[in-house]
Amino acid sequence: MGLIDKVPPRVVGESPALLGEGTPAFLTSKIDFLVNWSRRNSLWPMPLGTACCGIEMMAAFASDFDLARFGMERMSFSPRQADVLICAGRVTYKFAPVLRRIWDQMTQPKWCVSMGACASTGGVFDVYSMVQGIDTVIPVDVYVPGCPPRPESLIYALMMIQEKIRQEKLDQHAILRAEDPAAVAKPRADAEEIASVSGPFGNSTQQNRVSGSVRTDAISRPGDRIP
Amino acid sequence: MADDKSSFDSVAEGPRPSSEVTVSPVKVDSPARAHPSVTALTDQFGEAILRHEVVATDQHIVFIPPDRNLEILSWLRDDLDQQYDLLRDVTAVDYGGGRPLQVVYQLFSLFHKQALRVKCELPLDALEIESVCGLWMAANWLEREVYDLFGITFKNHPDLRRILMPPDYAEGHPLRKDFPLRGRFSRAEQTRRALSQDLKHYYFDDEIELGGESQALPPMDGPQALPSGENEAEAEVETGVEASE
Repeated sequence: MGLIDKVPPRVVGESPALLGEGTPAFLTSKIDFLVNWSRRNSLWPMPLGTACCGIEMMAAFASDFDLARFGMERMSFSPRQADVLICAGRVTYKFAPVLRRIWDQMTQPKWCVSMGACASTGGVFDVYSMVQGIDTVIPVDVYVPGCPPRPESLIYALMMIQEKIRQEKLDQHAILRAEDPAAVAKPRADAEEIASVSGPFGNSTQQNRVSGSVRTDAISRPGDRIP
Repeated sequence: MADDKSSFDSVAEGPRPSSEVTVSPVKVDSPARAHPSVTALTDQFGEAILRHEVVATDQHIVFIPPDRNLEILSWLRDDLDQQYDLLRDVTAVDYGGGRPLQVVYQLFSLFHKQALRVKCELPLDALEIESVCGLWMAANWLEREVYDLFGITFKNHPDLRRILMPPDYAEGHPLRKDFPLRGRFSRAEQTRRALSQDLKHYYFDDEIELGGESQALPPMDGPQALPSGENEAEAEVETGVEASE
């Protein structure tokens, strides 16, 4: 999702005898395996629990579910030493610059889990103050559905991150993990994408009370559903 | 029963003005319903006590004119028979439909152990009322919250700024009934405004300094990632361009 999908042309090394032509060479594949193995088994999460999902996240980290089995031995409360940002809970517009800054401060390689309905889509909070999905602000690798998700769901999400790391190739790393300085502190999505993912739904399509006594001056856009 | 109104009809009708609420009229002479402060207020201020209501069987509401709020509230605080020394809450209500906004003071007397709710009705074109920060320090942030969410200006408030919404919030006052649920701007504009806020609203100066490196990432796109001088091919191309020019 947040990763750049460009696949670079395979670099032909200086020693064809060792690398081989056109096939994954023995040495690089072993280095891939070794690096990815160490990365995926020592993921340090940066917990960002802003609401009730944070309670389930704590449960997943506690002894009953014991995420330390997966190498997440230590919650990293500093973004500098973290690998996975777990955004658990709703994010307000007032909090959005803080979230973006935490993401910018994390060093590569880094991944992001959007935990729960509110972090992924805004959830039931289709209101003036809520970010409609944190993927409008930062890139997200795995979305966890649920309100809140069970700890098993979070564990599954982190296992999907591990699977994603397992498939990463070292020679693509410089491209996959390139940081665009122009993107720092900017929304990840452009205006069109934000509008397309944050259409009104449910109660927010009916901004006027039935009696008509409440005047709300609702903004209507072409994409709005008529109640 | 089928012809009767559904119990949801009253919900659909929305809130009613407090003047239409059919609460059984208070019997001031009935000892169980009487509130000593209401009687004393009527004796002291007479016409200035506009209305008196009782809701939820024993909660007494007194309506006073907004231009005399400071006088009446300070009397309630200082009079020895009242001593409302605790301001539990300052809030406001908007019933919509152009009806006046109500500023609500929830008072409690620790000494007499009784509560009183005082309301001032402000017409929509004159949303100004005197601050009670001088009487109760607790009113400071509460009045800022009312100002932030309802747009009521508190005169002589020591520090009247937004408290919940961002300082540069430009969409209005969200708890007013004429405020659209999703805000006035589009989602894209809201996101853009949120992320272009001044970081000094959120962090101390030394924190910004500590995290400053993230604002100045070195360009890391392909060959540029190499330190200057190591990428000879690029250097040659650059000099070649210069030479051709």
